[in-house]
Amino acid sequence: MTSSNKNIIEVNNLVTHYGDRQILNGIDFSVEKGEIRVIMGGSGSGKSTLLNHMLALLTPTSGSIVIDNVDVVNANRKTLLKLRQKMGVAFQGGALFSSMTVGENIKLPLQHHTKLDEHTIDIMTRLKLELMNLAGFEDLMPSELSGGMLKRAGLARAVIMDPKLLFFDEPSAGLDPVTAVELDELILKLRDAMNMTIIVVTHELESAFKIADRITVLFDGEIAITGTVDEIKNSKDVRIQNMINRRARDEHLDADEYIKRLTTGKN
Amino acid sequence: MTFEQKKHLHYQLLALTGEVDLHNSPQVRKQLLDIVESGYSVIVDFSALSYIDSSGIATLVEAYNLAKNNQLSLTIVGATGAPLQVMELTHLNKVFPMIDSLDEIKG
Amino acid sequence: MLTVFMTKAKAKIEHLGDSGVDIVESSGRLGVFLFNTLSRLWMYRFPLEETIKQLLFIGARTVPLILISGLFTGMVIALQFYDTLIRFGSVDLLGAAVAMSLIRELGPVMAALMVIARVGSATCAEIGIMRNEQQFDALDCMAIDSYHYVMLPRLLAAIVSVPLLTAMFDTFGIGGGYIVGVLIHGVSDGAFLVGMADTIVWNDVWMGIVKSFLFGLVIMSVCLSKGFYLHIEQKQSGAVGVSQATTQAVVLSAVLMLFVDYIVSSLML
Repeated sequence: MTSSNKNIIEVNNLVTHYGDRQILNGIDFSVEKGEIRVIMGGSGSGKSTLLNHMLALLTPTSGSIVIDNVDVVNANRKTLLKLRQKMGVAFQGGALFSSMTVGENIKLPLQHHTKLDEHTIDIMTRLKLELMNLAGFEDLMPSELSGGMLKRAGLARAVIMDPKLLFFDEPSAGLDPVTAVELDELILKLRDAMNMTIIVVTHELESAFKIADRITVLFDGEIAITGTVDEIKNSKDVRIQNMINRRARDEHLDADEYIKRLTTGKN
Repeated sequence: MTFEQKKHLHYQLLALTGEVDLHNSPQVRKQLLDIVESGYSVIVDFSALSYIDSSGIATLVEAYNLAKNNQLSLTIVGATGAPLQVMELTHLNKVFPMIDSLDEIKG
Repeated sequence: MLTVFMTKAKAKIEHLGDSGVDIVESSGRLGVFLFNTLSRLWMYRFPLEETIKQLLFIGARTVPLILISGLFTGMVIALQFYDTLIRFGSVDLLGAAVAMSLIRELGPVMAALMVIARVGSATCAEIGIMRNEQQFDALDCMAIDSYHYVMLPRLLAAIVSVPLLTAMFDTFGIGGGYIVGVLIHGVSDGAFLVGMADTIVWNDVWMGIVKSFLFGLVIMSVCLSKGFYLHIEQKQSGAVGVSQATTQAVVLSAVLMLFVDYIVSSLML
């Protein structure tokens, strides 16, 4: 029962709250199969919230989220389980389990969800480690790895089951420029060779412009624009131009009030 | 996914059709290992293969290694599209003998 | 003047009310947590491998601590009772007194406190750090059930380990009492041992077992849930949140444990 819909993710009118505070104001968002979509926005724009809702880690106040024809918000456990096996998530710090070796961490989804032979699982693990330039790190513990290596190990785990969808939470944060570029190229290769749809939440402009098919920009819980790299660069929206040109937010400075704040500490 | 095995010269030819993934790669594994353990070099025909995932690739690696240890060979013929890209992504196209057609196999 | 006072009084009462609501919420969360964890027993296969690993961390590695604390506790009780009993000329009752105190009360409570100190705090911190580092999110996204994979093995290991550790504590305690009473103060060893065997009944031992079983359950549930709900219950996340949660877990486990101690004692005595 496959839909001819070319969108693998469809989010409609998503409204979310954190306690009493509203985070997302009716977001409409869709991603095509095989697309690399970058989600950008300042702190507090709601981009991490959007990601967490797509991953079904949070429940929205209202709105719908459909991923690969599955209504994520209302799905039963079994359906969600099947969908999650087709989704890989690379978390910001790697999120590896400290009581297991790197290899054991990466193998974990295979051991839980498949009946593959141990030899096959081992080779698959090493294939992914090689891909991430972590060959030979199998038997180390996570505590022995640097931040960049942890991210790559987390990514290896995210792709171990060759998922259809890959989600990336701030991939370049904390990586040196060379590794960041290698990671960008890896993302492109993964999409081409494995037919993956990839969603990247990031604030790194260079990365975004290099890998994105389309970029979605969020401000204050609303989507400002979704467009190709060129469309973003040519946008007339002043907030987007500021973001691209790395200009600080325009703050109106009142000289007297400023001096008062500095000398008395009162507003 | 279906596969068909037949003799080609002194090799066993295993032709894969469709997609090899987590669910059916164990069958392919069993087939390949059986062939090698019976003492035959194997040619894997990728021409009708539209997709192969890491479990399939891992199976090929295991079979290739077993063959090598037994002085046998594992050759891939007719790789195109996504399967070829996966072989390139994993650099295994530099390890496995890869040919375009069976004509390249001399008796 | 009155309005200022009223405002301040109202604020204090509101604060109390908030704390009350927080306590009820926490208790509810703990209950839900316990139910969720135990329900995995019939929802999924028994987590044998992970439980055995936890038995090693929780049970086996606590034995040295139990040995030392049991020994010294037994020695101290023996000293105290000896001092009292000798005034009434009833030193032959020393064995019975030491054994009864340990088996019915001190053994379960002290062993539980040792477990809280060593295992409870470490477990709460471990789980809290996992929460901080998004490891539970990762498990959810990998479709691996956290309750089944992380929580249940630890809970099962605790309810098996704590009674066994209590039994060891009792044994080392009685041994310590023997050393002080018989070896040091010259109480007749026959009187010590036979007096003990004659006085202790099955109900005393059974009481110790029931208590230690419940203590294990309470301690592990509280410590696991305090770590697990770190992001909801603690005002600050990160390292500060973990240390706050751990402190609360240790204190709450101890208090709840003593409460359960009273309930069981009053029901079974």
